[in-house]
Amino acid sequence: MSIISDVINSTKAVIKGMKITISKMPQKKWTVQYPDVPVTVQPRYRGQHLLHVDENGKEKCVACYLCAAACPSECIYIEATDDARPYEERVGRDERYAKVYNIDYGRCIFCGFCVEACPKDAITHGYNFELSVYNRADLLKTKDDLLITKQKQSKNYRVALSDEDVDSEYKEVDKVGIKFRL
Amino acid sequence: MSEELIKVTINGTEYEVEKGRRLIEVCNENGCNIPSFCYYSDLQVQASCRMCLVRIDKMPKLQTSCTINCTDGMVVTTNTEEIAKAQRAMSEFLLANHPLDCPVCDRGGECDLQETVMSAGNVEERFHEPKNSFAEKFLSPMVANDQQRCILCKRCTRVCDEWMGETVIEAGNRGVNTVIGTYGGWLNCSQCGNCVEVCPTGTLLDAVYRHETRPWELERTVSTDVYSSDGMQLSIGSRGGKVHRIVARDRYVNGLNGEFLDVKARFGHEFVNHPDRIKTPLIRYKKGGKAIPATWDDAISFVADKLKDSKNVGVVASPRLTNESIFTLKRLATEALNSDNYAVSDAYNLAPFFDNLSAPLCNHKEIRYAKTILLIGGEPEEEQTYTAKQMRQAVRNGGAKLIIVNDTPINLIKSATQFVHVNKGSYEAFVLALLDKKNDKVSAKKLGVDKAELEKVRVTIAATEGDFIIMFGGDLSAEAQAVLANSAEKFASDKCKVLYHPLPLYNNSVGANDVMQGKKSLGEVLKESKSFIIGGSLQDANILEEKDFVVAFELFETETTDKADVILPAASFAEVDGTYTNNAGNVQRVRKAIDFVNQSKPDWLIADAIAKELGVDFGYQSSASAVFKAIADSVPAYEGLRYPALKNESKPVQAKHTIHSAKDLSNEIKALTERVEALAGETNKNNETPRIGHKLHRLTTLTSRTPQFHLLANGNPKPENLHVSPLKQFDTDGKAVAAS
Ligand code: SF4
Ligand code: SF4
Ligand code: SF4
Ligand code: SF4
Ligand code: FES
Repeated sequence: MSIISDVINSTKAVIKGMKITISKMPQKKWTVQYPDVPVTVQPRYRGQHLLHVDENGKEKCVACYLCAAACPSECIYIEATDDARPYEERVGRDERYAKVYNIDYGRCIFCGFCVEACPKDAITHGYNFELSVYNRADLLKTKDDLLITKQKQSKNYRVALSDEDVDSEYKEVDKVGIKFRL
Repeated sequence: MSEELIKVTINGTEYEVEKGRRLIEVCNENGCNIPSFCYYSDLQVQASCRMCLVRIDKMPKLQTSCTINCTDGMVVTTNTEEIAKAQRAMSEFLLANHPLDCPVCDRGGECDLQETVMSAGNVEERFHEPKNSFAEKFLSPMVANDQQRCILCKRCTRVCDEWMGETVIEAGNRGVNTVIGTYGGWLNCSQCGNCVEVCPTGTLLDAVYRHETRPWELERTVSTDVYSSDGMQLSIGSRGGKVHRIVARDRYVNGLNGEFLDVKARFGHEFVNHPDRIKTPLIRYKKGGKAIPATWDDAISFVADKLKDSKNVGVVASPRLTNESIFTLKRLATEALNSDNYAVSDAYNLAPFFDNLSAPLCNHKEIRYAKTILLIGGEPEEEQTYTAKQMRQAVRNGGAKLIIVNDTPINLIKSATQFVHVNKGSYEAFVLALLDKKNDKVSAKKLGVDKAELEKVRVTIAATEGDFIIMFGGDLSAEAQAVLANSAEKFASDKCKVLYHPLPLYNNSVGANDVMQGKKSLGEVLKESKSFIIGGSLQDANILEEKDFVVAFELFETETTDKADVILPAASFAEVDGTYTNNAGNVQRVRKAIDFVNQSKPDWLIADAIAKELGVDFGYQSSASAVFKAIADSVPAYEGLRYPALKNESKPVQAKHTIHSAKDLSNEIKALTERVEALAGETNKNNETPRIGHKLHRLTTLTSRTPQFHLLANGNPKPENLHVSPLKQFDTDGKAVAAS
């Protein structure tokens, strides 16, 4: 093999590569300038959990332990208690509520079984995804971190609309023809 | 039940069963599970739920297997689509008015209804009419009630009536409005909670454990009751070092008491995790000064230092402690302190009884099937509740004759065939009359009864065909106990077997008597010694005032610890391994359910540590089973016993108490006769039937830690607003407090 054919072959390869690069340049860019620009998440994205309240701000969770029973990584810890006060005064919607409700995010695998199990629609996955901490113990989130009335929502995400496709890097963008609303 | 075997075909397989057995039980035993709600083997048949339907050849329609007794050649089918359809229809009816609020229902996870319906599957709800709805409420400080969950199986009413003899819970109203209720909307009874236990749904619930956790979250430990001498087996449900509830039976437990427990055993467990528990060893360096926290090492060496040179140290063990603890305390006295001043702080001494025992102790099953029962003194329905239940059932279901001799018309006389109402303090006269007919005249006079009554007792006993059980409360004198215990020969015949059943007051009174051999009386020990080691507390601690040095092992601050120089935190029954011996002589295991609360230690380990500090090693190597082995090696009645042999709570092991042949007890009889003759003999009877629960609900060191018991002890007042939890409204003194 001569030097000349070497040069020709490698130039061909460079041109081939550059063709792809250049052909992508005018196309839509998928890179998001996080955290300067919010990340778009699917409506059904499974982020940090939210514990919900009813229209009067009473916690929906009745501490039935079904989520804890369903959880494959056993990361939910609940302590139930009785609250016999009238509805207006009590913490939860029902007489029974969770005095302690912890999720250990060191173990949670975001499978969503807990959400599936909940008979009261009290727990859902939220969109908060920035869960890294400096101290492992901080991965244990308590009711104060999980309640929808207390959990601070990150500014770094936006939820996609239902007809919106946000992670189609592998799809042919032109074919699908998405209009972006960033 | 007859012994005759007959053949029954179930689903094509032929089985040999005893004639007359209930079909539902035979099916369940042979793996053809039949769903049922109202059937309960220890209760009369109700047949109201219609879940147990089966097809029996040659019978029209489906039959309820809970009402059918097996007959020869019966051909039964349990698994056809026809039956499944009928059962589904029944479940649909049951659920027609059922709230299905399982997430908030405390029974969820161990609910028969939930399980039966889910395992049948395929149930559709076609009723769209609005369901009945009632507010949840409390029926008493111990029992919570949600009427709409009831499926009207009536187990609760039958238990209340048949087991407790206390018909306080009944079904009211008609048709779809039928609910289970109480008279006056408030439960005034002994609060045994057995209705809660047998209820297959979440209608009746434990109010002390209300909304605390879920059954599958609880760790279950089989253990023995720490209150009554019946040695009832129970299951401690604990989670994360806290005892949440106690039940008699969850699926895996099947002790001598079945599903029976009483108010203390079931609800009196709040003391275990109580914040008032003594947290660290405390040393009072100056008499009357403040007790100052110390480390275990310091406290033990302080104790050993003080006791090293003292002579005649008194060692007192409470009859609530485990056999292991009592035995180690005895060894501490004899081997490490060279003192023979040791005693049990029991109200009654059972030694004369066991030293003269002439027939075996009877177990609780034998009481249930006894033919004649003689109860002298005592009040089993308040102190030995399971014995009382068995007596009631023996009379009610077994046709037994129950003779009660008492100075008070106790509640149990409702079941009695004969009640001999005697003068106060005259039980000895009755024993004397029982012994010999010729004493009748004197005895009748002193007892304040007619001679004919004593004759009637004798006739009933003589006519017994089967077991004759002699029970006595603790208030008999030593001589009377000895004479009574030695008199089996007088009553025994080919047809009649005599059995004894003492009714001591504490969970381990019998065990204490067994393992602390050579003990002195408490008074003697308290008088003779200057320094003391006391496991538990004394009834009357005033005598400790003038003593030199007192060490107390306790859970809580009591009058005894107030006068103690060193207070060592002891572990409760839920934190230790050990054994108790009940009034039937059954040696039963106590098992560790939770970790030691605070810095507490088992009493035997504390005694062992003190002995080690004094230079004596018992060789226990911190193992309770080694202590028990030492007991088995030195106490003849426990010979050969080991923990593995006691593993199965459904087969309790009876200690082999020596059966003595008839002795010459003329001295005792003489003393007895003299004392009886000296009795005043004027009518001195108590005519008032005591309130149900007057002893059960009395506050003790342990139960006073449970707020609910304060309400009971205060007469169980009905709160004005039943729908608001009465539990949170009262503090431990029974005073109303604002809901927090
Ligand atoms: S998402 Fe899955 S792993 Fe995480 S808490 Fe829920 S059930 Fe457990
Ligand atoms: S979050 Fe839902 S499933 Fe979990 S305990 Fe609460 S009510 Fe039950
Ligand atoms: S009684 Fe059983 S089926 Fe009914 S709500 Fe309670 S757990 Fe559910
Ligand atoms: S309260 Fe419970 S035990 Fe009583 S009838 Fe209703 S379901 Fe049966
Ligand atoms: S179990 Fe037979 S009818 Fe209820």
